[in-house]
Amino acid sequence: MILYITMNKNKSLYWNLCIAGVVLVSILCFTPLVLPEGVYEPMLYGVPYSLWMGILVAMILVFLTYLGTKVHPGNGEEDHND
Amino acid sequence: MERRITMIKWVIIFGIIYLGILVALALISRSKVKSVDDFMMGGFNIGYFLGFMTFAATLFSTFTLLGMPDFFRNHGVGAWIFLAVSDGVMIFMVLWFGYHLRKKAKEKKFRGMAGLLTDCYGNKWAGYIYFIGIFLFLVPYVSIQIRGISIFLDASFNHALPPWGWATLILFIMILYSETGGLKAIMYSDVFQGILLMTVVWIIAYTCVDNLNGVEQMFAEVKSINPELLSIPGPKGLFSVQFLLVSMIAIVMIPVTQPQISSRIVIMKNQFSMNRMAVAVGCFALLVILPTVAIGMYGAVKYPDHSTPDFLSQVLLFDQPGIIAAATMIGLIAAAISTSDSQIFAMSGELRSLLKGDEKKVLKTTKIGMVVFAVAALIFSLISSNQLALLARLSFTGTGLMAPMIILAILSKKKIGMTMVWVSAAAILVFIGSLLGALPSDVMGLRMDLLLFISLGLITVLTVVFGGGEKQSEVKEA
Repeated sequence: MILYITMNKNKSLYWNLCIAGVVLVSILCFTPLVLPEGVYEPMLYGVPYSLWMGILVAMILVFLTYLGTKVHPGNGEEDHND
Repeated sequence: MERRITMIKWVIIFGIIYLGILVALALISRSKVKSVDDFMMGGFNIGYFLGFMTFAATLFSTFTLLGMPDFFRNHGVGAWIFLAVSDGVMIFMVLWFGYHLRKKAKEKKFRGMAGLLTDCYGNKWAGYIYFIGIFLFLVPYVSIQIRGISIFLDASFNHALPPWGWATLILFIMILYSETGGLKAIMYSDVFQGILLMTVVWIIAYTCVDNLNGVEQMFAEVKSINPELLSIPGPKGLFSVQFLLVSMIAIVMIPVTQPQISSRIVIMKNQFSMNRMAVAVGCFALLVILPTVAIGMYGAVKYPDHSTPDFLSQVLLFDQPGIIAAATMIGLIAAAISTSDSQIFAMSGELRSLLKGDEKKVLKTTKIGMVVFAVAALIFSLISSNQLALLARLSFTGTGLMAPMIILAILSKKKIGMTMVWVSAAAILVFIGSLLGALPSDVMGLRMDLLLFISLGLITVLTVVFGGGEKQSEVKEA
């Protein structure tokens, strides 16, 4: 029982960390770190800066969503007999 | 000439195969329909793979293959942030909001978002306002699918049929298909369309990159022609931070506000399936948008001054081998049909959720509604512009204005006042006023749509804090 409560508490913490991660990445996306106006360097294999940075950001967001599915506090509330 | 004949030959072959598949899927689905819920909601039992493909195909449509390359060609790499990054946040929203929506849907016996809102607010005007909102902003979204494909077919077939002729033909097939097989049929065709779209977009992107001697050389050529395409805000200054921020909010709210998406979240078999579906859609989004960068950059190098239809017919058809061009054409028609039928079907579902009485009569009215929505979309497609991506964004923003009132209803455990509903209705009117030029589009340097989102957000918080009862909502748990 204690183990179950601890696991649930941890899940809730990790879930909140995922939310914080998504919010943080989304905010960073609108800063000159990702979107410097009129700047396309440094290029990565010829790809302009905002594009490869944007691809990286999008991949991080998908990864955070994946982590979110693992630690969502509602996991286990419904059967998963896929 | 010979190339065109080869292409037409393949279009006929692929077209017959496609129509055959549609007929088979519609009949199979029809034979499985045992109840109105089976017809309208796919039996509330959709597994992860079917859910993922239908979600992805509904979200990524002709707008992806026609609108996005044109967006990259004209406005540059900021288009990636506009769609791909926003989609990344949106799938997380599916995870967060989907959990609460499914809980509420179970509790209230979900038939549609409009009905759910009526129930949560205890006032039928909540459902009506939502329904009017989606009608006003989804019809343009359906229209851009129809317009996109009809101007493309018109340019490709050398004006064999006028654009309205193509649009009518596509809508006729779509209505016939949807009314025969119901939601399951739409979903099966989505699987086919999703696979076709992904295959075709990558093949075209590969030929574009190959034609420009690799990725590095492609961007080097873009740099020499128009370096402003390689950074924000782009050559025409479209991708300002404010524009991108509003776009992100609007896109992130799609699972909340657009019924064709929210209903797909509810009908998933269980939360586990929904979670897997969200991650899969995220991967699909990256994979389907990435090649459109290459197609757009190719267009910026080869066809910088062409009109939208000319650029698209060149890059998607005439620069491709006949068989690929034919597959692209069928893929685009499939995409237009699968996205439009999902949206029109969802609007009809919303109409159904507002109706009460004998189920057979309700279903008949719903089916008539489907035809009315299709005709409205046809009319709008004839008068709308060719700016597909911008029209899609307008639709996302318009429906996005209803997100606070929906989130409030879903998260609140108690009956809530109508303040948010009326405020949302007023926000929609102000937004339409600014679109029509009756109201300013900027206020003190702030875009009107951004100002409306900020105001609605603040009013929602105030409603929760001072509204009484809402403090006990699940906001804390979330």
